[in-house]
Amino acid sequence: MDNEKKNLNRREFFKGGIAAAGTLAVVGTATFILDKSAAKSMPREDFLRPPGAISEEDFLYGCIKCGLCVQICPVHAIELAGAGEGLGFGTPYIAPRIQACDFSCDALQCVETCPTAVLDFRPFKEEGVRAVEKAAAEPGADLSTVNPFEVQKVAMKEAVRMGKAHVNRNTCLAHKGEGFKGNPRGADFKGVHRSPGKNEVSASPLKDRVFNREVCDLCITECPIGEKAIIQRRSRSGRKLIPHVLDGCTGCGVCQMVCPTAEPSIVVEPF
Amino acid sequence: MISDYFSNAKKKSPLAPKPVEQMPHTLAGLSFKEWRDSRKKNHKMRNIRWAVLLFMNLLFVFSFWLDLAILEGSLSGSRLIGFYLMDPYNSLQLLAISSTTGYLAMLTMNFWIGLFTILIFWLIFGGRSYCSWMCPYHFLAEWAEKLHNYLVKKKKIKERSYHIGLRFVFLVGFLLLALLTKNLVFENLNVVGIISKAMIYGPSLLLLWVLAIILFEVFVSRRFWCRYVCPIGATWSLVGKASPLAIKFEHDKCGYCIECQKVCLVPHELWFVKRGAATQDVHYVGSDCTRCGLCVDVCPGNALTYSVRGASSLL
Repeated sequence: MDNEKKNLNRREFFKGGIAAAGTLAVVGTATFILDKSAAKSMPREDFLRPPGAISEEDFLYGCIKCGLCVQICPVHAIELAGAGEGLGFGTPYIAPRIQACDFSCDALQCVETCPTAVLDFRPFKEEGVRAVEKAAAEPGADLSTVNPFEVQKVAMKEAVRMGKAHVNRNTCLAHKGEGFKGNPRGADFKGVHRSPGKNEVSASPLKDRVFNREVCDLCITECPIGEKAIIQRRSRSGRKLIPHVLDGCTGCGVCQMVCPTAEPSIVVEPF
Repeated sequence: MISDYFSNAKKKSPLAPKPVEQMPHTLAGLSFKEWRDSRKKNHKMRNIRWAVLLFMNLLFVFSFWLDLAILEGSLSGSRLIGFYLMDPYNSLQLLAISSTTGYLAMLTMNFWIGLFTILIFWLIFGGRSYCSWMCPYHFLAEWAEKLHNYLVKKKKIKERSYHIGLRFVFLVGFLLLALLTKNLVFENLNVVGIISKAMIYGPSLLLLWVLAIILFEVFVSRRFWCRYVCPIGATWSLVGKASPLAIKFEHDKCGYCIECQKVCLVPHELWFVKRGAATQDVHYVGSDCTRCGLCVDVCPGNALTYSVRGASSLL
């Protein structure tokens, strides 16, 4: 009697087990394929991975989708992908046109907080230490004159490579020789940013700022990296002053956010 | 006692059932029916538990919304006042994949601290206690269960049950699937994570999947996800095998009414409450138990109580 019950129990387990394994194979594979194909079919140019992201292949399994990077970002630049973005459900991304990373956290906090190191902090840490050592070793300088925190934070943000900005010559106001007056994104724009020229402690709304430029150069003046990333130079004909992106560009996307044309004339392409 | 953890109480020969003079309802001077229904309206533990569950989940939400920075992240991984906590099944999948790709060495100290802290915490407080005291899906499923039971009672639907071991098929299966696809496949289907993240970061399309599972539980099989599928629960049940906090059963107070089994999420763990089934005077409910306290609330004889295993022998 007991044995019979055991056999029945075992049979029930195998029956259910086979059904479970079948469902698992179908549902699991379907989810995986959907996730992957969505990633391929969606345009990626509007989305960046947060700073320090490792290769996409490793990122997809290493990211446990906890959202700690989202929560720590002071300007709320990072979002978690839904089913539509095609980035792998729940993984973090930055849409720079909506809100760019302006480094106003000062220490790459999203990278530092990531528990599984898909945003890998180690290279930045090393870069920071190296910069402090270099600054202290310069003639005439010692640790009493060098502020290690300042040196470190500049070195760390300059080491970020999310992508590189590209200028669209056809729409760029500077390429057309035009200036810009007023507010670049309108009064309803929710994005914030810390202007490098104003020495602010935290970011302020972009809608509150008014510019008046004879030749539009917002992408140059608002760049948090500065002349290592983007400079103004004369066009070949010598008649126009145009933005020129250098290899120091971190791909933070501030230029893309502040660009006043309807479609951004400077766009970060992710690496 | 330590030996309790290892001895198989099920294999022992059962104790003789109590004669009617020793039954608790006789001792209380009530009819069996009156006695059995005497605590039906008692919901003390359930209310405490719901309060804790809602508080913890709202703490996640408001930590982000109001920038409280007390409990950041979500149920997949979080920081409690700066101290990391990691979901173990998520971590297990990650470790499985990364052991093949060499990514393992990248994991931060915070990851290991978070994983071991949470394992130790729930090891002490009973593994699957996570399910009933933390999991937002459990809360929804309890309401779905009420509806389901009503429909069964009205004979609108037939009750369907499956083998309880299927969770482990899913546990191993999703782990293999993660290994094969190099992707945390389960995380896309994880109703716990979906709800937790929907509350904190805003709703997503994946909530439709949660709805589908809930409807399945209402109309087809009672507590289907929690009982037969959820690999997170299965992981916790493994962790809870050695937990000192457990529900204690005392045979001398039991009236064999099996009201506790009727409300239980995992009735197989209450196998000893039937007349003539108990093999010891005292049993501890096994590791599938979520320590939800529904049985504690409903037991007319107070035969089931929260207790710390081995505490009496230590004191």
